[in-house]
Amino acid sequence: MECVLLRPVPEPPRTTHTIEFPYTRTLGPVIGPFLTGLRDQRILGARTPNGGVLVPPLEWDPATGEAIEPDLVEVGPGGTVETWAWVTQPSRKHPLDHPFAFALIRLDGASTGLLHAVDAGSMDQMRTGMRVTARWKDERIGHMTDVVFVPEAAA
Amino acid sequence: MSRPAAVVGIGQTKHKKKRDDVSLPGLVREAAQRALDDADLTWTDIDAVVLGKAPDPFEGVMMPELSLADALGATGKPIMRVHTAGSVGGSTALVATHLVQTGVHDKVLTVAYEKQAEGNAQWGLAGGRSGGMGAGGIFAPWMRSYMTRSGAPEHIGWMVAVKDRRNAAKNPYAHLQMPDLTIEDVKESPMLWEPIHWHESCPSSDGACALVLTTEDGAKKAPHPPAWVLGTAMRSELGTFPGRDPVRPQAGVECAHEVYDMAGITDPRKQCDVAELYVPFSWYEPMWLEGHDIAGPGDGWRMVESGETQIDGEFPVNPSGGVLSSNPIGASGMLRFAEAALQVRGRAGEHQVPDAKVGLAQAYGGAAQYFAMWVVGATLDAVDQKR
Repeated sequence: MECVLLRPVPEPPRTTHTIEFPYTRTLGPVIGPFLTGLRDQRILGARTPNGGVLVPPLEWDPATGEAIEPDLVEVGPGGTVETWAWVTQPSRKHPLDHPFAFALIRLDGASTGLLHAVDAGSMDQMRTGMRVTARWKDERIGHMTDVVFVPEAAA
Repeated sequence: MSRPAAVVGIGQTKHKKKRDDVSLPGLVREAAQRALDDADLTWTDIDAVVLGKAPDPFEGVMMPELSLADALGATGKPIMRVHTAGSVGGSTALVATHLVQTGVHDKVLTVAYEKQAEGNAQWGLAGGRSGGMGAGGIFAPWMRSYMTRSGAPEHIGWMVAVKDRRNAAKNPYAHLQMPDLTIEDVKESPMLWEPIHWHESCPSSDGACALVLTTEDGAKKAPHPPAWVLGTAMRSELGTFPGRDPVRPQAGVECAHEVYDMAGITDPRKQCDVAELYVPFSWYEPMWLEGHDIAGPGDGWRMVESGETQIDGEFPVNPSGGVLSSNPIGASGMLRFAEAALQVRGRAGEHQVPDAKVGLAQAYGGAAQYFAMWVVGATLDAVDQKR
């Protein structure tokens, strides 16, 4: 038996919805100036009561919970790689679209390692203890991705 | 074995629509630092931290007890998180209390917060799905049912709204400041969910609250009078099941009787000097007065109408201004517990109920299915002196 359609089936109506749920963050008196500093090509850290410098800065001493005075100090732009991992296949959300290293970078003047990207070209250019320095984007918006790090020799 | 626990530190933030002057950790630290200062303690004096908040989708910060641990001075210390929907601020305070009462810790900091302006609370309440009808939509038919059952006239809801906003005008931390709100204003405000008008509904707030709980020995060393925890109770039930009475949930009845029994209260209406009840919509004041057997069936609204629940009445309810005036959801329950403690410590300022010795606090959450209550006293025998 054969079914015969007497009327053509119309194309079903289509609509496009973009599902998104944006959150907003209030940054407060320390992370706010830190991100504004990046826009101005400055990396800022916070002094802890025992003489350390936290980068990124915090409003409190993570060891004790005591408040930290929000007078930030400039660190870097150079620093030393403390440890690193090579990213062979960057994902869409990674800071670079070609292979790079995620590294803990102790910036000059800081007492903590900053997790950031090192654009070293190839894995054999990376080693623990190497010197790196900031490479700023031309258009900066006050975001962590305003900067990446490169081997000092290549800068 | 159980030993006495006392509140020796109370702190809260200024509650606002949007606290865009502080980060999320900064908000919780503002309340916690005030509680520590009140107790004359430092971060390092604290043994453990108990954190509470409502659903994580409110701010989109998942498992915040992890990221907030060092901001709350909990590095190397025990920290845990409590979540029981809107009642969470109360349950969180109770967990902290039990850690002291059972001898596990001597000084516990407990903090509850919500920073609702960072997300969309309506969406968060719907469990991340769109199309939620909102808390008001869930509760409105139950409020209407209460009115039908009790014969309460419509103006009772308007009276509660005016009373709580006038009390809030005496509380510098309260979000809504409406000292001149009138019955007419409430009645004429837009209808949100029948029978709830705009002015009969809570706001959406950013805010935090913190308490320091300690032992008898700790209370002796504290610079200000303590509030002794005389009774604690938590109950929950399913949000829907055949035969459930959502107007007078059984979990709420049992929670109240357990807390009264533990504190030695035989007549809460006579033996409590002040009550802080979780009233996000005006009708919940008479509903909880009856649902917790403070008033008999049909008498809750008469207590409102006669002025008994006014700040200068025989049974003051929500001298802080209540949830109707400030609602950072995760903190709202703890704010009730904190206000009851402030009152019996005699430290409530302009909204102090004179000579308050026994205070009752309650928080509820979900579909009126989670309950947390405590009774606090100015002395360990404060209830005995009422009999």
